[in-house]
Amino acid sequence: MEEIVLQAKNITKRFPGVLANDHINFNLRKGEIHTLLGENGAGKSTLVNIFDGIYYPNEGEIYINGKKANIRSPFDSMRYGIGMIHQHFMLVDTLTVLENIVLGLKDQKFIIDKKEVADKILEISDKYHFDLKPHTKIWQLSVGEQQRVEIVKMLFRGAKILILDEPTAVLTPQEAEALFDILKQMKNEGKSIIFISHKLNEVMEISDRITVLRKGKLIGTVNKDEISPSELAKMMVGREVLFRLHRKPMEQGKEVLKVENVEAFNDRGIKVLDEIGFTVHRGEIFGLAGIAGNGQKELAQVITGLRKSTGGTVYLNGKDITNKHPLHITNSGANYIPPDRLKVGLIPNLSSIENAILRIYRREPIGRRSFVDYKKAREFTENLIERYNIMVPRIEAPVKLLSGGNMQKLLLAREITENPSLLIAVHPTRGLDVGATEFIRKKLLEVRDMGMAVLLISEDLDEILMISDRIGVIYEGRITGIVNAKDADVHKIGLLMTGATEETVAAN
Amino acid sequence: MNVSHHLIITALLFASVQSGTILLFPTLGEIFAERAGILNLGVEGMMVVGALVGFVVTYITKNPYLGFIVGSIAGGLTALIHAFVSITLRGNQVVSGLALTIFGLGFTNFYGQKWINLRLLVTPRPIPIPGLVKIPFIGPIFFKQDALVYTSYIVAIIMWYILYKTKAGVHIRAVGQNARAADAMGVNVYATRYWWTFFGGLLAGAGGAYLTVGYSSFWLDGMTAGRGWIAIALVIFAMWDPLNAMIGAYLFGGIEALQFQLQAIGVTIPSSLLNMLPYLLTFIVIIIASLIVRVKHISAPKELGVPYSREEK
Amino acid sequence: MLRFEKRESTPASLKFLVPTISIIVGLLIGAIAILFKGINPIHVYRALVIGAFSSKYTFSETLVAATPLILIASGLILVFKMNFWNIGAYGQYIIGAIFSSYFAIFWSSSIPKPIMLAIMVIAGMAGGAIWAIIPALLKAYWEVNEVISTLLLNYIALFILKFFMYGTWRDPLSHGFPLSKPFPDNAQLPRMVSNTRVNIGLIFGIIAVIIIWIILKKTKFGYEIRVIGENSRAAHYAGINVARNIVVAMAISGALAGLAGMVQVSGIIHFLQIEINPGYGYTAIIVAWLAYLDPIAASFVAVLLGGLASGGYQIQITMHVPFGIVNVIESSILFVLIGSEIFMKYRVHLEQKRKKIMSDAKIGGE
Repeated sequence: MEEIVLQAKNITKRFPGVLANDHINFNLRKGEIHTLLGENGAGKSTLVNIFDGIYYPNEGEIYINGKKANIRSPFDSMRYGIGMIHQHFMLVDTLTVLENIVLGLKDQKFIIDKKEVADKILEISDKYHFDLKPHTKIWQLSVGEQQRVEIVKMLFRGAKILILDEPTAVLTPQEAEALFDILKQMKNEGKSIIFISHKLNEVMEISDRITVLRKGKLIGTVNKDEISPSELAKMMVGREVLFRLHRKPMEQGKEVLKVENVEAFNDRGIKVLDEIGFTVHRGEIFGLAGIAGNGQKELAQVITGLRKSTGGTVYLNGKDITNKHPLHITNSGANYIPPDRLKVGLIPNLSSIENAILRIYRREPIGRRSFVDYKKAREFTENLIERYNIMVPRIEAPVKLLSGGNMQKLLLAREITENPSLLIAVHPTRGLDVGATEFIRKKLLEVRDMGMAVLLISEDLDEILMISDRIGVIYEGRITGIVNAKDADVHKIGLLMTGATEETVAAN
Repeated sequence: MNVSHHLIITALLFASVQSGTILLFPTLGEIFAERAGILNLGVEGMMVVGALVGFVVTYITKNPYLGFIVGSIAGGLTALIHAFVSITLRGNQVVSGLALTIFGLGFTNFYGQKWINLRLLVTPRPIPIPGLVKIPFIGPIFFKQDALVYTSYIVAIIMWYILYKTKAGVHIRAVGQNARAADAMGVNVYATRYWWTFFGGLLAGAGGAYLTVGYSSFWLDGMTAGRGWIAIALVIFAMWDPLNAMIGAYLFGGIEALQFQLQAIGVTIPSSLLNMLPYLLTFIVIIIASLIVRVKHISAPKELGVPYSREEK
Repeated sequence: MLRFEKRESTPASLKFLVPTISIIVGLLIGAIAILFKGINPIHVYRALVIGAFSSKYTFSETLVAATPLILIASGLILVFKMNFWNIGAYGQYIIGAIFSSYFAIFWSSSIPKPIMLAIMVIAGMAGGAIWAIIPALLKAYWEVNEVISTLLLNYIALFILKFFMYGTWRDPLSHGFPLSKPFPDNAQLPRMVSNTRVNIGLIFGIIAVIIIWIILKKTKFGYEIRVIGENSRAAHYAGINVARNIVVAMAISGALAGLAGMVQVSGIIHFLQIEINPGYGYTAIIVAWLAYLDPIAASFVAVLLGGLASGGYQIQITMHVPFGIVNVIESSILFVLIGSEIFMKYRVHLEQKRKKIMSDAKIGGE
């Protein structure tokens, strides 16, 4: 029998109104890759955050190498040899690689010996062929490089158990492959790895054992060799059918959005859109695929007037809307689902009514001269809530009390109810549960069938493949290729996402 | 330039360093509190408490150094109120800081009355530093000062070193920029913020204590007269860097010194306008500094004024 | 260890309870401070209450102090709601007083009283508004920190007042004191109750409260202010002109502070001097917070803190207790109030030591 390095017994964690982990039992063997599989909200992150000391369980015990462990903080977990790489990297972007690595190290001297630390970083970096420069600031690194800093940081601390929370979500298929090689190398060196994912293909590729969670409950732990992907899917979702979205064939309509040679800079003054150009037509969903941070966010901001472009032109229904005021652009018929609903799209502390009228409070019948008719606003909101089946505790309650799915439904409802000619949807289903995801995707297809042009920007390639008519790939602020969804090939899109041009892809 | 002009300028700059010291201590303190993510607008209040306590202790013990130390500690203890409200109870830092200013001014008005019209008989003596004092021009300005002024030089340099070269500095910057990441790496966010808020108060108290013990030798109600706010403005001017803070502090110390010199010479500008000068110039400088900060993409610590809680995202 | 658990909504009772407790705790801290000075706090507080609320005259003085607090606080509520920290009501008040005094001092005393007062009201509001628009523009277009800019403008305003009072505005008959000549009758706000200083200014305050309430509850401007204050990025996203809203709201806030300054010189003092109580500008911040930024609640809180202020002046005269005690009490109230906000957002539990929990967990797990 293999040595068990980490064992969790009967872990229960409650949050207000949610049972995130319900008596979970879990164990990790030395030198294995053990995947935690489950949908969003299944409780995977909560469980590993308990191992890492971010949360403390309401019930249950953790044993490390057979001894009972009391993990109260990430520092405690580090002492037990646990190193966690979070979905959102725990890096301070204004510090250097080296400074991030020594951050919180207790055995480091008061005055940092930069030479010694740098040498050790380079030693680890070379071993895994990372090519890290210790004195670079984090914000200058790509996401993939930042992930490597995280890995080095954990190895530097002598982590024997590595936890990776959805590490491939931010990577290209090729980068993910490279990561898998690294993980396998570590496994062969005797390290134990907890890997979190909801992507079946990678789970089948990398895991030794798989533990499936659903809605906070343990469904089971299986050996990879003894299970098929479809059985896993069934365990994970609890029902056979995932999304089988019905799609009418597209008839390409007239041009609604035309982006021509657009240039823009990000907040740090770095050029992130470089003569980008594409068109979106009436009645189509144009999916824009790409790895995070290749200019997607800024592109959406430029089109909606939230960021100034420094060159090029944006046309909406043939009219030049480049650098026009956001209000002008909305009134010209473009609405926007921003990537971060709580930070941009909604006002968390205000009520459903006040959030619902954000686009239309200026106009009759809700806006009258200088006043807002809150009675009419309430009727309008009640109507939206009914039509889109949004669950709210009370209509006056702050929207922060709504579930993520219901928030997003409210946001979507607000943006499409006025029937704009263009909808820009950025990560419209990120972080949502299965039901809400399906609802949002169906609605997007519905408005497309009604003739709206939809620009869908997403890092979830599956989502793009599922509902787009045409797919454009963005890399370093340019379009590297546009393909029809019908004959889309994941491998090809993956290459385009890493900067290969259509010609070089074709040559391969 | 003839000799007498030269002497006047040297005297002016010598005085600039002295009045600059009143600003340098609190500016350094606030830089560190803000770097750790705590905005403390109570500098004026902490300074005035330090000023009164420093004065009283010096008056009673006849030991200005003890007065300076106890005055500093009093400033630090005052800061702990802000630390408790804004770190533990996650209260609004702007309001808490304002309350701290109101508290400090009220507290010293309430207890300070009987100390007005008294004069310290023992004050820190100037100690020329052998060797350094002989440096032409610089020497007589910087190295003929008293021990409290020298303390401010040492503090500024040590603080700069700590911020950029030590583990503690990495922790400060991490906590103010991304507290969650710092916490995940095992840095105690609360302890770090508590300590540097206390430290900020300690230096604000030091600035106040220097004002009564080293600079004026008497106590007046509300005698900090807005210097705490100038110090907060200087933090932006210094772009959160301890060495820049020295430049800013002496520049503004210079304005105050100049104002006295002009009055002494008998320039016929109404005194109210001369007295306005430091505030007006701070106002202008803060506008310019804000523009520079914007153009250069320098920004305040990202989580300045944002309370941290581990279980809440 | 304290453990915090998020509340779904704040019970209405807490919104009354927390400010009440804050005031009680503030008074207790004040009592301790008084005790340390070797004075019996009960005597002081009794004198304070008598000095503020006991008779028609003392209560009228409380209302006199409450008037500027109501005017300033209602304007502050507007800008605080949008997270703009106007700490500059002190300076806006002074500039308002200077602007309106100009007409009282230099214009003819034969101008009909309603016209003269109308000019002074407009001048006072304009002065306060100008002084508020400066930091608003700096914030809106150049991101200059408004806390610092408004504060520095307070000091600048004070020295402008001193400049005039020691300069050309000084009354030659004042024996060298920095006082203007007394305002002629046409420049004095009518008083409402005989033998008291309560004047039309109080009506201005009530009107201001109503207008601010309507703005916040009924208008597009009020809606936009809430959106900006709660989420400025969402406001930008919705095409709300954040800069213009900041400037307009600050103009209103400054105008009301300027009007308060005008009321003080025209309704109470009847000449311009250096000591015109601009400190109301800071006290009004406390009023706004104690009222949780509700203009109607603010008018009641203003009477309470107005009483504290006027009682404070009384005990300073009768018992030689320095006025600073009022600031100590006010700031303590504020600390408790904002420190208690966490109890409104969270249920707070005192968590037992870890060992205890682990053994509990064991029982639970078996």
